[in-house]
Amino acid sequence: MAYSILFGTFALLMALGMPIAFCLGVASLATVLYLGIPPIVIFQQLNSGMNIFAMMAIPFFIFAGDLMVRGGIAFRLVRFASGFVGHLRGGLGQVNIVSSMLFGGISGSAVADASAIGGLMVPQMAARGYDRGYAVNVTISSALIALLIPPSHNMILYSISAGGTVSVADLFTAGIIPGILLTIALMVTAYIVARRRGYPAEPFPGFGKMMVFFFAALPGLLLIAIIFGGVRSGVFTATESSCIAVLYAFLVAVFVYRELDWSGFMEAILGAVKTTSLVLLVIGMAAAFAWLMSFLQVQLTLIQLVKSISDNPMVVLLLITIALLVLGTFMDMAPLVIITTPVFLPIVQAFGIDPVHFGVIMILNAGIGLITPPVGTVLFVGCAVGKISIREAMETIWPFFGACVLVLLMVTFIPELSLWLPAQFK
Amino acid sequence: MSRFMQAIRPGLRWLSLACLYLAGAGLVLMTLIIGWQVFGRYVLNDTPSWSEPLSLQLMSWFILLGAAVGVRESVHLGLDIVRYNMSLRVQRLMDLVSLALICIFGGAMSFYGTQLAAGTWTARIPVLGWPGGIDFIPLIAGGALISIFALERLIDTLIAPVAAESDDAANAEVL
Repeated sequence: MAYSILFGTFALLMALGMPIAFCLGVASLATVLYLGIPPIVIFQQLNSGMNIFAMMAIPFFIFAGDLMVRGGIAFRLVRFASGFVGHLRGGLGQVNIVSSMLFGGISGSAVADASAIGGLMVPQMAARGYDRGYAVNVTISSALIALLIPPSHNMILYSISAGGTVSVADLFTAGIIPGILLTIALMVTAYIVARRRGYPAEPFPGFGKMMVFFFAALPGLLLIAIIFGGVRSGVFTATESSCIAVLYAFLVAVFVYRELDWSGFMEAILGAVKTTSLVLLVIGMAAAFAWLMSFLQVQLTLIQLVKSISDNPMVVLLLITIALLVLGTFMDMAPLVIITTPVFLPIVQAFGIDPVHFGVIMILNAGIGLITPPVGTVLFVGCAVGKISIREAMETIWPFFGACVLVLLMVTFIPELSLWLPAQFK
Repeated sequence: MSRFMQAIRPGLRWLSLACLYLAGAGLVLMTLIIGWQVFGRYVLNDTPSWSEPLSLQLMSWFILLGAAVGVRESVHLGLDIVRYNMSLRVQRLMDLVSLALICIFGGAMSFYGTQLAAGTWTARIPVLGWPGGIDFIPLIAGGALISIFALERLIDTLIAPVAAESDDAANAEVL
């Protein structure tokens, strides 16, 4: 009965359209009232759930990403990428994808990537005769690369949701090969589609100009090395590296590029407050919900249930992947990661699957949910930037969606893709 | 009731704006404190011990003030798909239930936060040396603000008959 109250209330309130943070809180409160546990416990758990040092990295990375867009760092990365791959068939599509990889290396947010790179690339692509649907599809599917290439604040979210037991440095490292694989898969897809549609290649700018683009983009590229190198070598914690990213982006934008004014700075601050405080509240509320799940031994029951279906780890991973893909179409990424990690992680661990490997699967899975309707934040942002309807975007997304799912299946069934690189650092 | 809401609206708008700017100031302070922590460790060779607990205090304020503004501006993450498929009359009812529950939950946050603060006031926060109950002040204030802003939207929804009428009108046209 307690299970029904906890999950039933949660599902009912979600259906009502209540914000997810409060669905978690009210469902937890209703369950403790039913169980006769003092309600104060829920608020104690909520307060503890909001006092995790690693959580600070999430607003910092979002803040840093916004400063980079407003401060001209993103623009220079795009120009650098255009020198590199613009001369390939469907060159601007390729530029879009490589820019996402580079920008992902400093912002770690798919939504920021879609709005920043999409905002710069989609108008250019449309002006050069590319179909807007194609431009939006390239933008939103390549935005998922930002989730895998470090620093990904969603990896930090996963680590926190796993109770801090999974190393952020390992997760950051584990995302690199899958991120590069996704980049290649999308570049190949974009190339094939571009050939079929006869999209042009851009002229090669020449090595001299490429060097100019490279040096102009160097401060942004250095930040990738500072963040990843700092976390991997243990010089900074993930939280400290995100703070360094903010300070660095601010200094570059104000003193090097001189493109960040006071109003842009204030908008970046208030934007980070509005975006991230909501996610962090979900984490806090989920702490109370997760405490109740442990109290009710939900995870143990689920493990027994899954074991009764199959004892093959790959079958279990496939089932969880399907479940996450379906849930991802309805739920936004952050709540999905926060809510399902405490549920699925003990199951996969019971089957001997590495939590770092599962983290990469979880992030890519939830990321694909961001580009699928009815609830797909990156899809919405991409369509808004590209000024097309969701239906128009969905009509031609399938090759790109297929490439993402192919990479997801490879990452799921070839653990070495995620685990080989972290092992080299040990 | 409509006049009363009009009278208090500027105050609520000011309160919401103050919360937003305070949360923003919290974010900037958190950045400076953690930046100082790294500077202290590698340049001064003296890692400040107060930086982590102080930034955690600021983060609690940042989250709860920002979340309260989110309630007023209705920007919290949620699942709208079921709601959008309902008639406007049902949507209004769903909103009323949802807002009433958020209002009650915010009140409970404040109430139990006060109990937690009172129960831990004599303890000390390590390093900072502040009373332990300080940890729960953001919960008390944030809960109260969430409750106030949810109540504002609840009353607004109750006194706005437009949606229900247009829904009836739309249904009548279809019929």
